[in-house]
Amino acid sequence: MYSPTTVGVKSVNLHIKPGEFVSVVGQSGTGKTTLVKLLIAEERPTSGSIVIGGWDISHIRGGDVPILRRQIGVVFQDFKLLPKKTVFENVAFALEVCGTKKSRIKKIVPQVLKIVGLSEKAGRYPRQMSGGEQQRVVIARALVHRPKILVADEPTGNLDSINAREIIELLKRISEFGTTVLLVTHNREIVNSLHKRVITLDGGMISQDNEEGKYIL
Amino acid sequence: MIVSFLRVIKFAFQNFWRNFWLSLITITILVLTLISINILVVLSFLAQTAVDTVEQKVDVSVYFKSEVSEDAVKDVRSYLLGLSQVKDVKYVGREEALEEFESLHEDNEEIMASLGELGENPLGATLIIKAHSSADYPFILETLDNPQFTKFIEDKNYDDHEEVIGRINDISSRVQNFGIILSAVFVTIAVLIVINTIRVAIYTHREEIGIMKLVGASNWFVRAPFLVEGIFYAFLATFVLGALIYPTIILAEPYVNAFFDGQNVGLVDYFNNNLAFIFGTEFLALAFLNIVSASFALGRYLKV
Repeated sequence: MYSPTTVGVKSVNLHIKPGEFVSVVGQSGTGKTTLVKLLIAEERPTSGSIVIGGWDISHIRGGDVPILRRQIGVVFQDFKLLPKKTVFENVAFALEVCGTKKSRIKKIVPQVLKIVGLSEKAGRYPRQMSGGEQQRVVIARALVHRPKILVADEPTGNLDSINAREIIELLKRISEFGTTVLLVTHNREIVNSLHKRVITLDGGMISQDNEEGKYIL
Repeated sequence: MIVSFLRVIKFAFQNFWRNFWLSLITITILVLTLISINILVVLSFLAQTAVDTVEQKVDVSVYFKSEVSEDAVKDVRSYLLGLSQVKDVKYVGREEALEEFESLHEDNEEIMASLGELGENPLGATLIIKAHSSADYPFILETLDNPQFTKFIEDKNYDDHEEVIGRINDISSRVQNFGIILSAVFVTIAVLIVINTIRVAIYTHREEIGIMKLVGASNWFVRAPFLVEGIFYAFLATFVLGALIYPTIILAEPYVNAFFDGQNVGLVDYFNNNLAFIFGTEFLALAFLNIVSASFALGRYLKV
């Protein structure tokens, strides 16, 4: 819990084009996760506006939040997988809770598992998989609604460098399919290797915004 | 929509089984609540039966003077039958009254001797009046106080069971008040238990709920399984209650009948005839109670 006077981000003004791959970097506590929370309407801005695909979500009604979240795939550092469900069931869960028919679930889930390279491991449980594989399950789950935007908040934070690279490669491929990817990270090596747009946050404000930028703090 | 509805039910069942012991405790408390309410139902039925039994025995006997003609008595009878409060009026003629008197006092030599000395029938005709309700008797007695009738009437005997009825009503209302307090206590406990059960269920499923919200499940989809769980508790509690109450009343009925001098009170028949009403109302009330409790717990502990 923060006090009401605490500022997460302020005076942030940015525009991300459809299909763009953007890295948001900054030290801990600079407002990266707040930015993610604003995008998925977990937090509301006290002033200003957030527009996604022409939809102003600054004052979004509670009932519309699920509609927004089906258009934004979210990947977190701590995976958030259900341990008692298999890979297939974890991915299918995202469709089940939105009322998708079983026949359609059976069609879509294998497709996204194929995209993330886990077709062979659909019957495994999260505990039987490596961190990298678990993160790929999360990405698969985020993709089932064919989101316009994929937000990845420190997706490589719990992974070794090899698995981290695989995840970033996967995100790049997803971006190439036309999905806008917002990568929140403080992994310098990864950001520098991407040669994509980099937005640097400092004290809740944008300190730098560079095309083909580098991780500079 | 149907797909989502079926999934909500599936998730509700999962909630129930994953917190089995907590569910069991919740249902036990709900069953105790229902038992206390059904004891009230039984007591109310028995009290009404007792009042009806006593009321059936209440009547007014009007003794006419011996010189009053049979036609005059029958005129009074016709008048009384015309009153909406009067259910029935039985005419007992002079001879019949004497026969009854003699058979009643055949062992009493003095009375029999006195009758012999008189040499003629000293008794007049009698009308035995039954009212629809015991509350109607004062009105009927008042009607008979009219000078038009008093000149014929020797005496009136109001077999006063009013006091007995009053006492039965008094005892049954005290028992019912106690039952209502007991039920209120159980209802309060049940509400707290249901709130706590849903709270624990929310806590147990916090990961799942978080993911549901993250991937775009609608608010009602997140909430509905907990509400359905509440309805499921109500259904099971009513079912268990039925399974307990029927054997109990079947076993108790002979004792209840014995208490009412062997008269068949029809306790089981009463439950059979009102099965849908009693259990249906209790199920609906309990389901409503659980939904309200669950809604409170969801509002308090589940931010969606």
